[in-house]
Amino acid sequence: MNEQVRPVMLEQVSQAAKQPKPPLLSRRYALEIRQQLAWHWQAVIIGLALLLGLGISAAILVAAGVPAGELLNEFVVLTVFDAQSLKAVLFQASPMILVGLAGCMAFRAKFWNLGLEGQMIWGAIGATAISLLEVGPPALRLPLMLAAAIGCGLAWALAPVVFKLRLKVNEIISTLMLNYLAINFLLHLLYGSWKDPRSSFPYSPQFQPFERLPELFDGISAAVPLAVVVALLALWFLGISRAGLYLRFVDANPRVAGAVGVPVQKMIIGTVLISGAMAGIAGFLVTAGQEGRLTQSFYQGYGFSGILIAFLARNNPVAALVVALLMAMLFVAGRSLQVFYQIPFSMVQLIQAILVICVASSDFFIRHRIRRVQGGES
Amino acid sequence: MDMITNWLGNTPDFAVPFALAALGLILTERAGVLALGAEGLMLVGALAAIGAQLAYGSHGVSLLLAMGAAAVVSLLFALMVLVLRINQVIAGLALVFFCQGLTGLLGTLLDWTNKPVKGQSAIELWPLSELPLLGKIFVQNPLVFMTPLIVLTVVAFLTRTTTGLRMRAVGENPQAADAAGISVLGFRLVAILAGSALIGLAGGYISVLSTKLWIADMTGGRGWIAVALVIFARWSPWKALAGALLFGCIEALIPQLAAAGVRLPQYFVLMTPYAVTLAVMIWVASGKNVAGNQPGALGIPFIREERR
Repeated sequence: MNEQVRPVMLEQVSQAAKQPKPPLLSRRYALEIRQQLAWHWQAVIIGLALLLGLGISAAILVAAGVPAGELLNEFVVLTVFDAQSLKAVLFQASPMILVGLAGCMAFRAKFWNLGLEGQMIWGAIGATAISLLEVGPPALRLPLMLAAAIGCGLAWALAPVVFKLRLKVNEIISTLMLNYLAINFLLHLLYGSWKDPRSSFPYSPQFQPFERLPELFDGISAAVPLAVVVALLALWFLGISRAGLYLRFVDANPRVAGAVGVPVQKMIIGTVLISGAMAGIAGFLVTAGQEGRLTQSFYQGYGFSGILIAFLARNNPVAALVVALLMAMLFVAGRSLQVFYQIPFSMVQLIQAILVICVASSDFFIRHRIRRVQGGES
Repeated sequence: MDMITNWLGNTPDFAVPFALAALGLILTERAGVLALGAEGLMLVGALAAIGAQLAYGSHGVSLLLAMGAAAVVSLLFALMVLVLRINQVIAGLALVFFCQGLTGLLGTLLDWTNKPVKGQSAIELWPLSELPLLGKIFVQNPLVFMTPLIVLTVVAFLTRTTTGLRMRAVGENPQAADAAGISVLGFRLVAILAGSALIGLAGGYISVLSTKLWIADMTGGRGWIAVALVIFARWSPWKALAGALLFGCIEALIPQLAAAGVRLPQYFVLMTPYAVTLAVMIWVASGKNVAGNQPGALGIPFIREERR
């Protein structure tokens, strides 16, 4: 197609050379759709968008009272180059990776799963129930808790996807409403029958030592390898397995996929259930790995983070690992800003939203170019 | 008996934010823009109103500033969906999260959190306010009485004026509207600004007239319930008002039950608005005529001179 375009362009160039340049305001500009853009230019555009987002975020941080010289220190040096903080980042990254993968899964099935927090809460409730009811021998307790978390997260994702497919109920609203139900149920448990009798705070009794995720080596929690294993499974599912191939069919065109014999509905339901199960595992990781008990706000911030990770990673599980790690850095830095500069944790959410807006906007420049229209033309 | 009187009397107070937010959403969506950002814009309105109330102490000014603040923030949304043609679901969600972060941050940094403000004194609609049982419904702050008038204005605008007709045309078939010489993006921009101002008013109502203080995330999903309300009101303002009254009834019942000493698990009672939203969505979806009345071009960006 280059050969076709070139003569036209040459003609334009020669016209432009002949005519005197019109004054700036009388020039007209038109938007054109690019057929495609080389991947390195795409990367440059997305990179610029991220830089713009980070610049705006930095300006807001400085305006909120963080000394400009300390920013790099807080966000990079103190999160990655400090052994203690690096552990915290990896620890934080494990549930992040899982919610990010959960987001990727659901979006691959064109399902807006905004219920990640609710599924996380149910995963954590399931795991805690196994602990409180003392199901099974101590050696099997952790696997049972994991299984319960998977089951509960999965179950909480079932209703919205079935109602979406059968009745076309908007899943954005139904999953959000289910979040509110899950949050209130969590509070009901924590202020009621599951409250730690030895404390006045609304949280469950501490888990037994064998109910907590062990530290494997060098103080790195078992949560980290678990998250990586789930990520690899997700990669296998989406990239290698037959189901992943079907899913790409469904994503591209559900009707054609159905016509050539792909079980469209089953694929969508299955993928969304896996998404819910992954969010459930994330809930298990936070309760059994980080907190050691069920608390009333452990889930906060993960729902949006999951969606954001999936969006920035373009639903690619490997990219999701990287983005989740960056989000974990942001979370850890956000907590330290909270301690040292009294900056509320909402700052993290604001920065995340700014990044999403910038990257979403960059898509426009990937898909379009601005062309100057000559005065006489158009 | 007293309980029923109080319950009915409090219903309009809880119903007004739903009604105003749903009305703003209808205005925006009738022009073909899918507005999921209501939850965030309500928070912006609520925070702006509290700030103005703490500074100036006038309810009128606070509510106007709430409208203005929400409209200004919605310019960001307009930029995303009208100019940059971002997927309207992503843009709406990003707007909600942006506003949640922004208001949470500002509310704490400016120290506006948990500062109570004075309410507005109620107006009695005299002969009606003496009615037995129903009397308390007619003792309300001025904005409650204005709400039906605002609904009436919007309905009249949408159905009785040429501008309203053009706006609906833009939402139903932007290509045809464009061919008829109507500025699609211009109408959509105005619809976003006006709708967001109404949503901001709903938020301001919650913070300065209803709860009378600011807490982070105080709207508690009311914006999302309003989005659902618009779907089951089939984009009709009067039906949305009726739905808002239903949700007002439910929300007003919660404190009444507690005051009457009914022993119910508190958090299950707090679930009711969300559970009812879910139930009504499923009920509506299982009926006939599911997509009826939805603006034809809802959620589709308008791009002139471009192949699809």
